Amino acid sequence: MTQIFSPAADTWLRLSMVAGVAVLGGGLVGVIGFAHSAFETSTDVRPHQPVPFSHKHHAGELGIDCRYCHTGVETSPQAGLPPTATCMTCHSQIWTNAAMLEPVRKSLADNKPITWTRVAKLPDYVFFRHDIHIAKGVGCESCHGRIDTMPLTYRAKALTMEFCLDCHRDPAPHLRPKDHIADMTWQAGRDARKQGEAIAAHEGIRFGQLTHCYVCHR
Amino acid sequence: MRRPATKPDHPRGPVLWSSLEELSGDPAFEAWVDAEYPVAATFGPTARRTFLKLMGASFALAGLAGCEKSPFVAALPYVEQPQGTDVGIPKYYATAVTLDGYAQPVIATTYSGRPTKLDGNPDHPATQGRSDVFMQAAVLELYDPDRAQAPNRRGEPVTWSDVQHHIGLLRQQWTQSQGEGVALLLGHSTSPTLIRQIEALVREFPKAQIYEHAAVGGGRGLDSTRAAYGQPLQLRPQFENCDVVVSLDDDFLGAGPHQVANARAWSAARHRTADQPGLALYMAEAVPSTTGAMAEARVAVDASRTWLVAQGLANSCDVAGAAKPDLSAKEQRWLDRAVHACRSARGRALVTCSRFGDDATASWVARTNEALGATALLGAAAPVPNVANAKRLSDLVSDIGRGAVQTLIIIDANPAYTAPAWLAFRDAVAKVRSSVHVGIHRDETGALCEWHLPLTHTLESWSDARSIDGTATIIQPTIAPFYDVRTVHQVMALLLGQLDPLPAAPVRDTWRAALGNDFETKWTRCLHDGYVPEQRAAPPNIHAAATAVVPPPPDDGLDIVFRPDPTIWDGSFANNAWLQELPKPLTTLTWGNVISIGPALAMRKDLTNGDHVRIRVRDRSISGPVWVLPGQAPNTVALTLGYGRSKAGRVGDGLGYNAYHVQPIDQPWQTKGSLHKLGTRETLAVTQLHHRMEGFDFVREVNAADTDHPKHETTQPSLYPPKPSAQNAWGMVIDLDACIGCNACVAACTAENNVPVVGSEQVKVGREMQWLRIARYYTGDVEEPRSFFQPVPCMHCEQAPCEMGCPVHATTHSPEGVNQMVYNRCIGTRTCSSYCPYKVRRFNFFDYRPASDAPEHAAHNPDVTVRSRGVMEKCTYCTQRIEAAHVAADKENRPIRDGEVVTACQSACPTKAIVFGDIRNPDSEVSRLRGDGRHYVLLEEQGTRPRTTYLARWKPPEGQG
Repeated sequence: MTQIFSPAADTWLRLSMVAGVAVLGGGLVGVIGFAHSAFETSTDVRPHQPVPFSHKHHAGELGIDCRYCHTGVETSPQAGLPPTATCMTCHSQIWTNAAMLEPVRKSLADNKPITWTRVAKLPDYVFFRHDIHIAKGVGCESCHGRIDTMPLTYRAKALTMEFCLDCHRDPAPHLRPKDHIADMTWQAGRDARKQGEAIAAHEGIRFGQLTHCYVCHR
Repeated sequence: MRRPATKPDHPRGPVLWSSLEELSGDPAFEAWVDAEYPVAATFGPTARRTFLKLMGASFALAGLAGCEKSPFVAALPYVEQPQGTDVGIPKYYATAVTLDGYAQPVIATTYSGRPTKLDGNPDHPATQGRSDVFMQAAVLELYDPDRAQAPNRRGEPVTWSDVQHHIGLLRQQWTQSQGEGVALLLGHSTSPTLIRQIEALVREFPKAQIYEHAAVGGGRGLDSTRAAYGQPLQLRPQFENCDVVVSLDDDFLGAGPHQVANARAWSAARHRTADQPGLALYMAEAVPSTTGAMAEARVAVDASRTWLVAQGLANSCDVAGAAKPDLSAKEQRWLDRAVHACRSARGRALVTCSRFGDDATASWVARTNEALGATALLGAAAPVPNVANAKRLSDLVSDIGRGAVQTLIIIDANPAYTAPAWLAFRDAVAKVRSSVHVGIHRDETGALCEWHLPLTHTLESWSDARSIDGTATIIQPTIAPFYDVRTVHQVMALLLGQLDPLPAAPVRDTWRAALGNDFETKWTRCLHDGYVPEQRAAPPNIHAAATAVVPPPPDDGLDIVFRPDPTIWDGSFANNAWLQELPKPLTTLTWGNVISIGPALAMRKDLTNGDHVRIRVRDRSISGPVWVLPGQAPNTVALTLGYGRSKAGRVGDGLGYNAYHVQPIDQPWQTKGSLHKLGTRETLAVTQLHHRMEGFDFVREVNAADTDHPKHETTQPSLYPPKPSAQNAWGMVIDLDACIGCNACVAACTAENNVPVVGSEQVKVGREMQWLRIARYYTGDVEEPRSFFQPVPCMHCEQAPCEMGCPVHATTHSPEGVNQMVYNRCIGTRTCSSYCPYKVRRFNFFDYRPASDAPEHAAHNPDVTVRSRGVMEKCTYCTQRIEAAHVAADKENRPIRDGEVVTACQSACPTKAIVFGDIRNPDSEVSRLRGDGRHYVLLEEQGTRPRTTYLARWKPPEGQG
């Protein structure tokens, strides 16, 4: 009877099994890595804006409070972009002829909104509310990063489901006192957890109930 | 495989059946119900390899779809943000929509300036926050892409300045002729501003003639009171003060402008406890109605015999001149009970009759009420103010015939469709030199007339109207008109010679005179409250006319009755897809109308559901499919108006038959005719066989003895671990004794939750998407069955079978006990639906969303995902409202209050049959009801521990029913 398999067949079999596991495992690592990559989550992308608005200048150097422009953040699901009129409160007085601000003046003159590009965007099936996060001690910086250092705005945090859930599962270390909500430079310090737990207790955070699907999806 | 339903020897409830096929044990029917989605049973077998290929491809594509990057999109802020506007926070306006010209007061929810949802106005005295299907669906009509969008002359678009110029020329002629030859035809309207403007027009052109034509309501509805009392009266029976109501064919709980107020009052009086009997209703009717379904005792009486029963009732109540009529044994038995009940509740017993009934009935009923001392309960009032001394459509046709009309202006009416065919209205219009149609759609009449001037929808208008009780509401716009349209008052102002008036100006002018001093404050108050507080006129003194009305002569042939459609009404809602897809009460028919007949007539003529028949009335005939309606009188055939339209729009055209074609001018509601079988048939889009549960005992009936001991919760043991409960545990209780099957909840759910419309073909194969169904069951004999309505939303089982079934955890349990459905995780295996014993899950077989540029998108609730193809969906307990309440409470650091979360179905229900709340809070309304003696769990033997539970219907007291 002739031999079907050569003596090397076993080696090849073992090798291919190892290779198979390696390819599958590597593939998995690759896929997960890709899903977390800056490319896939669009972090660090500075999309084109009609006016090269600098948060670094306005929020950082001039120290304008976030809520001066994003007025809905404490009362509404949406923080809201400032209407043209808000820009013009200052820019009707200063930099009135700057070429850079032409789209703003045109918007007011034509009564047509400025077409900004949304930077921090969640999928349509996610129903995020700014007001409750602000009310419960989640600071602007926690999700938006150091906006005050961005000459052109980009998405600093990945805003993936994992990003949201990390905090919803264990909110305490991410909470901050109410008077530091819009503070970009606030640091939790070493006792972040203890401090956060005190805030959570005071704010009546419903531990364990923030991870069910309908909190964000409906 | 089919699991046989195990029926115990002594079922706790009545033996239920939902269709004639089921009752007769038709094998084809058994096969149909076997399939989870009945149409799937007809699919060819799939080869194994094909199946694997498809599965492989699906998985690969699903994986790839997950890699989709979220694109950067535009964000458009305001240029100048209006004060008090926060993006993402809805604003509410008190306003009204209209039905038959009557105001239906609403609170409109608007997001970023677009209305998405209408709810009843809780402050309004007539409706107190309750609503009906027409009110719920009005918002879709606003976004109807088939609406007329610009003025039009002989099919060519023109501008409003052309219109103004033409009207200017007309006015020059009228000034010379004092309005000779001018005819103004109006639909029924109660708008004080429109009435004022018409009066001004008649003052300016005294020879102009005013006509009124409303297909269903309007002045004609008061004809029977003219016969009975010698004066036109608006009767608003005060059911809240009644113990016994005997209704002769009066479907007062059925669809129409009266429904909300009547249902509210009836349910308040109906409220029965073990000690207190509540209102007892006795119904004699030809065609089964929702009112008949709620009756203590009901008898089927042919339409032409109703007056005999009325006479019998009068005779038993000792009314002078009422001879004892020749009644059948069945009728006599019913009459004896009704009379006995009336006698024992003297002063609180009321007899009502239909406004579609004959004068003889109305006359006997009026005199019986006088004998019973019930006249005060009738709530008689002078008619809601209307255009005075308007002539009728038949007068207009004869005036045109003798050449007396040169200019015809038709405002908000569609006589080319709704006029009885014998009037030959279309031919008449052709004889008029200049014709103008003013309406929201360029409908049959609009296409016939030379000019068509498009109107704004009520939600875009400044106007006013009176509700059924006479209370005026100022209609304020919730959105700026998005087409080149004008309000009816602007068009009237043009006719009055004013150039381009502001929309609000005519309305303000009316009320400036009426409100008197301090106008601006009062005006703002009225806009905010949604009604105008006015002094009520004292009720008129009424006396039943003593002369007996001569009964209609006996005639051979079948009784043909005409009724407005319960969801399309007179046809004016034909292009509203939400209303087309609402299953009509009792027939559960969608997308069409049927000729309904009784089982006895069906036997005699050998007819089954869907068989085509021809109905002949005098020299005209129509043909359509029959529907055998259990409990319909043997010689009565019922036709519903509103279908067979040709210019309604893309949704409403070409559905059903046109009953106006055989509606006689002299006998608009009841006539004689014949029926012939045609030999062809069709499949109807009825939903009563869809989503059937396995089991028995779905609807329970109890009597006082059964409810002695309050229920305490008994839970069967379960293999599954108990679910932890959060601070709130949501639950719902539905009172079957209060549910009148009106569908307001279904319509409200559709509007609130962006539920798609699937169309007639999809409904036929069982794919309708409504998140709750009103299951309709019968018990007893087909000739005289008892009917039950049971709303079935998701049960939110604590041990939910669907959750065990899902391979990807797309349906999970929340700590608050809500069974959650996550669309973005669902891969569409439909396992959950086959596991669900209550059959409440709905699958998106196709992408049912409107086209991407369709205006209907604006009607979507922005707080609810719009689902695409391939995902399962179901009732969420309006989770967006729960979460909103959580946020509101959490921001104030307090628990959610009882009654703070109101689901869409609950807020719409006119009888408050649905109660929602926290079952962990022992003081909540829902907890109280769960402890009620009537409380029961649907399919309790399944051990699913549903959070949605029911209160059993009360059995009629001994010796009745």
